[in-house]
Amino acid sequence: MEDLKNSYVPTWCIGCGNYGIWNAWKKAFMSLNLDPEQTALVTGIGCSSKIAQYLNTYRIETLHGRSLPVATGVKLANHQLTVIAEGGDGDGMGLGIGHFIHTARRNLDITYLIHNNQIYGLTKGQSSPTSDLGIVTKFTPPPRGNVEQPINIVQTALQAGASFVARSTAADPKLAEIIAQAIKHKGFSVIDILQPCVSFNHVNTYKWYQERVYAVSELSDYDPTDYTKATAVAAQWGDKIPTGVIYAAERMTYESSLPQLAVQTLSIQSIEAIIVTPLMDELA
Amino acid sequence: MWRKPFTVMFGGQAGYGIMSAGALVAKAGARNGLWAFVVNEYPSLIKGGLNTCIVSFDANPVKAYEERLDFLCALSQEALDQNYNKLDRGAAVLYDSDAVKPDRDKVPQAVTLYPVKLIGSLSGETAKVMANSAMLGAFCALSGFPIEKIADIMKTGFIKAKVLQQNLTLLYQTFDQTRSLFAEEKTFPLSFQADGNRKMLLNGNDAIAMGAIKAGVKFAAGYPMTPGSSVLTYLADHAVEYGLVFKQAEDEIAAVNMLIGAGFAGVRALGSTSGGGFALMTEALGFAAQAEVPLVIVNAQRGGPSTGLPTRTAQADLNFVVHASQGEFPRIVMAPGDVEECFFETFQLFNLVEKFQVPGIILTDKYLADSSIVHPYFEDGDLRVDRGALVDESWLNDNQPYLRYRAAEDGVSPRAIPGQMKGRHIATSYTHGEDGFYSSGNREYAAQEPEITAAGLDKLFAKVPGILQEIQGVKLHGPQAAELTIIGWGSSKGAILEAITAVNQTGRTVNFLQVLYLSPFPAEAVQAVLQGSKRTLLIEGNKTGQLGAMIRTYTGLSMEEVYLKYDSRPFTPALIIEKIKEVLL
Repeated sequence: MEDLKNSYVPTWCIGCGNYGIWNAWKKAFMSLNLDPEQTALVTGIGCSSKIAQYLNTYRIETLHGRSLPVATGVKLANHQLTVIAEGGDGDGMGLGIGHFIHTARRNLDITYLIHNNQIYGLTKGQSSPTSDLGIVTKFTPPPRGNVEQPINIVQTALQAGASFVARSTAADPKLAEIIAQAIKHKGFSVIDILQPCVSFNHVNTYKWYQERVYAVSELSDYDPTDYTKATAVAAQWGDKIPTGVIYAAERMTYESSLPQLAVQTLSIQSIEAIIVTPLMDELA
Repeated sequence: MWRKPFTVMFGGQAGYGIMSAGALVAKAGARNGLWAFVVNEYPSLIKGGLNTCIVSFDANPVKAYEERLDFLCALSQEALDQNYNKLDRGAAVLYDSDAVKPDRDKVPQAVTLYPVKLIGSLSGETAKVMANSAMLGAFCALSGFPIEKIADIMKTGFIKAKVLQQNLTLLYQTFDQTRSLFAEEKTFPLSFQADGNRKMLLNGNDAIAMGAIKAGVKFAAGYPMTPGSSVLTYLADHAVEYGLVFKQAEDEIAAVNMLIGAGFAGVRALGSTSGGGFALMTEALGFAAQAEVPLVIVNAQRGGPSTGLPTRTAQADLNFVVHASQGEFPRIVMAPGDVEECFFETFQLFNLVEKFQVPGIILTDKYLADSSIVHPYFEDGDLRVDRGALVDESWLNDNQPYLRYRAAEDGVSPRAIPGQMKGRHIATSYTHGEDGFYSSGNREYAAQEPEITAAGLDKLFAKVPGILQEIQGVKLHGPQAAELTIIGWGSSKGAILEAITAVNQTGRTVNFLQVLYLSPFPAEAVQAVLQGSKRTLLIEGNKTGQLGAMIRTYTGLSMEEVYLKYDSRPFTPALIIEKIKEVLL
């Protein structure tokens, strides 16, 4: 565990949900006994993405919304690495929504953790693509507040083809276990992590989430491989919010469909003295 | 004053195999001792519209295209209507007698018309697929171009035996039919003799892709955009064979970020696009510079602004590319002038971006990207891969603690890649210190922010002298001392070289200063030449003289004469000769 920390103290607000996710991350990592040298963490921009500064693996903190394409490049360059992408709801569902859908469609073996606080925190309180209807923010003033339908991350992930979809909360003692499961899953894994923003979201608080969440495992005979059932459950949002592993299925990963990767990992190939004479012959 | 090559134009609707007919005759020439230059012009349409392919043949290497035609093969009315004024004295016009009605008033003097039933002899889909074989048969009959050389190339080009047989039959049938109609003309002035030299027919994009493969590119990503896409198609076609991955991305933003991920993970990465796609990549260009991740992007320019002219040429993205992205940072911008430079300088650029850990841009254009040339095999035996300060695990073991962005006089810090022991670090788009950490991530760190910020930028810019030392920023072609010095960049090189060769044969002296690397700007090298120049002429394919402005900024020197062309078509030797004459009068 010590090896995963570095000397910097996070600048997250006291009580921020990011701390819970940070701790669960480290726990999951230790429980899987992963090698930090063989792990690449790719984040976007925002409070949540700062997690890259406080973990000691290989890390790349990218541009706002662009963690998934960068993670795709990392994974294809070295598919032996454990690749984890991470960021907030604004980052991933705003600028990054297109990348999110296409990455899910591709099913690369990447784990994507979304810190979903339903608000823009680092820019101090604007509405996010997951903000609930009616919520008042700096950019959505009274009387009507937010009038745009929020994105349901779990539902979107399922429809886009993610092969592992889960939801949890920053305070959930089971979060570490879910993260570990997501990392172990071969394919694109998404976890929607409900994370209170203590400074700017005074509606979706720890209490608000606590009163609404329930574990899908409590449902009688819930089968996370059943896509139809999963889509029905995924549609729930409001008084009852499902958590846990909502969907998990085996599907061929993008990288395993590439014959050239089966021969050798790109990043360890020698590039000295490549012969291009056959290419010239083709044009003769 | 200038002996122009024998030039034939094939023209017709898209879908009728116009371009493959051109490539076919060019290859037939190349295998038999001739040199050729092939230019395709086509609208952004899938079907219909006028496609033309101009092939210029000569006994010596051809460096540029010229629009004075010796032979026109017109499969459609437009192909004739739009090209009357390009017909040279003595030219022959072969046209489809069913589809084309010539306007006698517009046919220049001393031009002979040859109506032959081409498409009409065929039915339905066959017409489209095989019309070019009929056209080539008639072309051979009228021009004296040896038909068996065409047949030889066809035999290697078709996969299905039946289709090959149908095409060959049609080729010879039309040949015989045309012979029976017209007395043999034999206008083709060159003799066919294989010279034993291995030659290929390739365009700028082929050469860039091949140079990248030679340089060890392992990852490519992009979104289709004419005329940049064919670099990616080439890499996709050869991906399995060369152990590389091409990923079609959802957009150019995704593509360039994928390249950054791959570059960070230690592989050589290439993207290719055109101006609009490059515009989408610009935020990430700065990210690559800030995180010091090497990558190479091709911008094959087309007419603009905005969507502009998808299939036509321009040299108008220079200002944009050298300044693209917010903030300030060095990048390497290389503008190849011919396929030779496309191959060798692309190889070199991959070494440079890794040695200096900066983004690199290949600034080409539709004319160079898409025009094919008969060229000898590249002599690539001396090319050596140089990965710069990419460290190995034993180095990391001996150099702990490892700081990814350790201060260095030349701005270049040792680079570790994911998977290596003891090389863990953070790469970030934020302004950061030596360990990659940044001020808003920690209170103590924030106190040093001004120093870290300035030092970070100094580090990036400390790379510039090293880059300038390694690049061949300019090339001076022609005599050292001259009455006139032409300054230009990129694809106009061939036309300028043809023009100065012709002019110099008349006893005047003109030389050509080619700016090959545009950023960092080789100011000293440019100044050294221009200060000694008697007269100067700037030649650029844009409206505002962008290189001229850069020269003024960096050297204080202004170009005396300016020839700007921004009508979406390339410079030709004849046009440049005319301009030189005007200036030297």
